[in-house]
Amino acid sequence: MPLIELKDASYRYEGAQRSAVDNVSLSIQAGEYLAVVGPNGSGKSSLLRLLNGLLSPQTGSVRVGGLEASDPRNAHAVRSALTLVFQSPADQIVSTVVEEDVAFGPENLGLSRPEIARRVAAALEATGLTEERCIPPHFLSAGQQQRLAVAGAIAMEPRAIAFDEATSMLDPGGRDSVLALIDSLAGRGMAIIHVTHDMSEAARAGRIVAMVAGKIAFDGSPAEFWGGRTDFGAAACAIASLGLPSAVSAARSLGVEAGAADSAEGLAALVSSRLRGGGLVPSGAASAANEVGHAAAHGTRPVSEGDPAFSLEAVSYTYLRGTTNQRAAVEAVSFAVPRGAVVALVGKTGSGKSTILQLMDSIAFPTKGRVICLGEDTTAKGVDLRRLRTSAPLSVQRPESALFEPYAGDDVAFGPRNLGLQGGGLVSRVREAMELAGLPFGDFRDRRTRALSGGEKRRLALAGVFALAPEALLLDEPSSALDPAAKRAVLDIVIGLARKGMTVVMATHSMEEAARADFVGVVSRGRLTAFGPPEEIFYAAFDPAWGIGRPFACELALALRKAGHVVDGLPLDLDSLALGLRA
Amino acid sequence: MRDLEFFRNVSIGQYVDSGSPVHRMTPATKYLWLVALSAPAVASLGYAGALLPLLSALCAAVAAGVRPSFLLRGLKPILPLFLVVAVMQFIFGWPGDRSAVLFRLGPFSATAREAHIVLMAVARTVSLVVIVGLFTSTTTEGEAAHGIEDFLAPLARLGFPAHAFALAATTALRFIPIVAGELESIVKAQAARGADFGSGKGGVVAKARAYLPLFVPVMIRALERAEALAEAMEARCYTGRGRTRFVVYELQRGEWVARLAAVFLCVAIFVLDSAVSAPLAALLGVFA
Repeated sequence: MPLIELKDASYRYEGAQRSAVDNVSLSIQAGEYLAVVGPNGSGKSSLLRLLNGLLSPQTGSVRVGGLEASDPRNAHAVRSALTLVFQSPADQIVSTVVEEDVAFGPENLGLSRPEIARRVAAALEATGLTEERCIPPHFLSAGQQQRLAVAGAIAMEPRAIAFDEATSMLDPGGRDSVLALIDSLAGRGMAIIHVTHDMSEAARAGRIVAMVAGKIAFDGSPAEFWGGRTDFGAAACAIASLGLPSAVSAARSLGVEAGAADSAEGLAALVSSRLRGGGLVPSGAASAANEVGHAAAHGTRPVSEGDPAFSLEAVSYTYLRGTTNQRAAVEAVSFAVPRGAVVALVGKTGSGKSTILQLMDSIAFPTKGRVICLGEDTTAKGVDLRRLRTSAPLSVQRPESALFEPYAGDDVAFGPRNLGLQGGGLVSRVREAMELAGLPFGDFRDRRTRALSGGEKRRLALAGVFALAPEALLLDEPSSALDPAAKRAVLDIVIGLARKGMTVVMATHSMEEAARADFVGVVSRGRLTAFGPPEEIFYAAFDPAWGIGRPFACELALALRKAGHVVDGLPLDLDSLALGLRA
Repeated sequence: MRDLEFFRNVSIGQYVDSGSPVHRMTPATKYLWLVALSAPAVASLGYAGALLPLLSALCAAVAAGVRPSFLLRGLKPILPLFLVVAVMQFIFGWPGDRSAVLFRLGPFSATAREAHIVLMAVARTVSLVVIVGLFTSTTTEGEAAHGIEDFLAPLARLGFPAHAFALAATTALRFIPIVAGELESIVKAQAARGADFGSGKGGVVAKARAYLPLFVPVMIRALERAEALAEAMEARCYTGRGRTRFVVYELQRGEWVARLAAVFLCVAIFVLDSAVSAPLAALLGVFA
């Protein structure tokens, strides 16, 4: 008997045009490791909620361990057999102490105290949080908080754990720790259902289920999914938009076949043996069309002559100043951003990237040092803060949460209206900004803001910033927590603006994105530990202690060199790697 | 609105761990002391009733290894409030106030009754701040949450939803920093788009409208997060019924003595207060 079995299950939200889950049949065996992929709105999250009875199918059936999931009498049994870990770490913490949070589920099951204590200890052990058991969860890093959520799930002693984009809000270090935890649970025989937008993460699973428009468009092995099969029919376009795992796109651009889950080292060994055996002739003509295969934002790197757009001079900033919780968020940071340059700030969550951006937008003011924004000292007397803020506006993290007008066009108009624009001037400004953000004015001006997809909302929020006709842009994780297609769309918009000469400073957790910038600043514990061109940061200057990782192409180039091959230059993307690879 | 940092203004009491016998008491007992000292501080007739709880709290603080100066420092932010109360009393008179006039300034006068009211307000507030400060410095957040449930346990037997009440209270407390964080992020997002809150021109409606860009998104975000939390709780089998407790507080030695002492002290202060205050007030002619 399969552990989980869906038969012709459908679910439609009230008032929705089509079913979120449409006639889906799926069976999952005990101990299976399954990845569920698909564009936003394809029904992945609804599927998970059907599995453990948070939603009940309107037609068809869902059985977990032989029990009907939608029957309320089975709720305890079903929800403890299949537990869920959600996207946002902070939104699933119930208690004010780590171990009490782990105990929350077992308490709900009505277990005895010794039994709860045993489970809590085991769950904390498995997630590596034993030392943290007595502290408040808000003192944990985002990655640790997500491991805490996993501990809470393990304490239910489930047979399967489902992860709903559980790594999408984490920095590279936190993500690695959660992925390692998932792998170790799978290794212990726990069934894993991992919903993810990251194809390299999905490639770790033994089975891929692709959902498109509420239906299962593919169900099979990773090798089949990214290998030979191309007969996806009507779903082909949606599946292509998901992109490829790094190792697969690298293998393709080098002209070798590779298993989807291969690491840079594994792939290098394969390429190496093929080169030696004469089975692979480095052509230098590979044509990789994927998310990393673009040249840097500019043909030539802007030089720092003349007046820089921003300059930070020994800037420090203390958070919660004057209270007993005061904490230095930024310490003695100095750097300059030449006009027209793209700068990527990278570093762990909480390292100070957001604070630096806020200091540059004169939303926060340095406790020590000076910030010069577009030629003006942000703390100077009589400085027009509104003008300064709107000439170099900051798009905060998840900027779509600040949308407030019912209609899309009105929201974009908020900024220019504040600047005094009216009538025809306002309309043309809004039109321009929306087109720039890839939201055609005619189609989108009267769309309801709440009804837009996640990616459209993000682009609308960016349009609201573009409508200020800024001289520079400050973007805090502009592409985070979006699906692959929306991620690419947002990044292309940003790179497009940069090509037209816009100065851009952005914080990001994606090293492939950072590699496309002119300069990369590494922020660690409030200090700028390195600043320079990406070729320097990811090669000569690189330090693993930064906790940021490197672009896949860079890892691969280094692995190939280690295997004794010649790779010209300092490639950051697969095209230049393919071009630079000799015998 | 120059500095857009919000967290600085959200201060919750700080736990001071000294491991004293006071700290080791069960949270239910601490709640009992909190109520027993706060009640006379708020509802007493005179100075004795308002200040004896302060004295008791300071003694308890010494026993708990919490420095009285640490507790008194909590008064600093509310000092201007005392001034406001005093000025208001000075400017506005009480109808039928025939108590002695202490001094005059132009058309205004300060009477003995007004002085009494100001001093009582100050005494009550100082007592409350110190009592609550002592409670939060000896009780962790987790204990405070479970403690409400334990404290209300006698009522639960009469059908009062003690557990649901405790959960609602803790969740509300937990959401304060979350909502403050969302608000901070949204204020920053709108400020970057040239929004200027607070200096809106025009009438009340126009001013209220200026805040829509804040309130609409903050409300939506708070509801979204509440929904996410509710779903996560439901996924972990929460129904509110049939729960057991992982954390149970063992009664310490002398715990019942401490509880009885709290009740006795509360009654004693009230009795003493009514015995002393009425003659004293009459003597002063405050209510004459």
